[in-house]
Amino acid sequence: MSGGALSDAPVELQRPEALEILHRAFPDQPIVLTIGGTIREMVAVCGRRPNHLPMLDSMGLATPIGLGLAVGLADEPAVERVIVADGDGSLLMGFSVLTTIGLLRPRKLIVVLFDNGVYLATGGQRTAAASTDFVVAARACGLRSALIQGAAALEAGLQTARTEDGPWLLRVPVGTVAPPTPFFNADPVVLRSDFDRWLAAKRA
Amino acid sequence: MAADGVDGGGAPASEPTPAAVQATAPAADARSAAIIAGLEAIQPRYVLMLPSGTLRSILEHFLQASDVQTFPVPREEEGIGILSGLVLAGQRAVMLIQDNGIGNLITALATFPQAYHVPMLIVVSRRGGLGEPNSIIHMVSGRIEALLEAAGFRYFQLDGRTPIEAWTSTVVRAHEYA
Repeated sequence: MSGGALSDAPVELQRPEALEILHRAFPDQPIVLTIGGTIREMVAVCGRRPNHLPMLDSMGLATPIGLGLAVGLADEPAVERVIVADGDGSLLMGFSVLTTIGLLRPRKLIVVLFDNGVYLATGGQRTAAASTDFVVAARACGLRSALIQGAAALEAGLQTARTEDGPWLLRVPVGTVAPPTPFFNADPVVLRSDFDRWLAAKRA
Repeated sequence: MAADGVDGGGAPASEPTPAAVQATAPAADARSAAIIAGLEAIQPRYVLMLPSGTLRSILEHFLQASDVQTFPVPREEEGIGILSGLVLAGQRAVMLIQDNGIGNLITALATFPQAYHVPMLIVVSRRGGLGEPNSIIHMVSGRIEALLEAAGFRYFQLDGRTPIEAWTSTVVRAHEYA
């Protein structure tokens, strides 16, 4: 497989559409959502869902939390995959987690990196994503990885990650078109409790 | 949530130590054994660790334990995330760090496990006390209690003022009531 460097082609896939594809691919699996627009747009496209764990303010922790879930649920037959919807800024904040994923190799973990190249929620300041080959970095750490461009490729990539063991990192370039969405400020204890109950029912 | 200080446990034997402390402080190996007994009683399946000379024999104990997966995490806040995920998955897990890494985890601990009510036990070795030769360590380690209190994190200290007989039960109860 080739590396994951970005092409100069314009990005046509926007994050809300990408999130909807992710939701449709994994409607019944745990999904950790990173902060900001990712949560608001996921709620906008599919509503509040108890299998989603929105991370309200812990930038950089979405993938570590997903890693812990994937390790802890490794022997749980009711859970096929643990998905993280992360962003480039959030992943870069705790990039070392790739090394820990490579060390632990949780086969159920899928990190879907929605890469818009900027900190969109705070005005669009650029991240280091444009100069970072996430796919090569992930592979160097021991993950399986691919560059996923466009809606059809995302559907196919998620299907592959569902059927073939990971850990996976899928780099999905997305645009910066952010539709207006209401602020999401739910009580974190309720979010955790909803997720707990959903997971307990799934495991029962 | 709790942090346990193993005060001065890593001091070299040749380090000059005030007589009063010498008279009351149990030997480092007794302290480590007490912490190991407490952690064993919790029956963790996972132990997350950062390096600590003070906790070395505890880390080695769990690295050699066949029924426990002990693995390094590169930074404290990443460990907070992984530990949170393990707890949410229903697993028993603890993390072992040293106190000069507390600054790295404050935001992570406050915004996820604290805010979402995810209980966890972190055993924190004490640096910066008597016998610590690295002067820079004192810049952060001497202020750890103030940092923990400002952040609202519950902690219990284990040092020469706590009878060694109470160490194991304190670790067990800190986990139980986290």
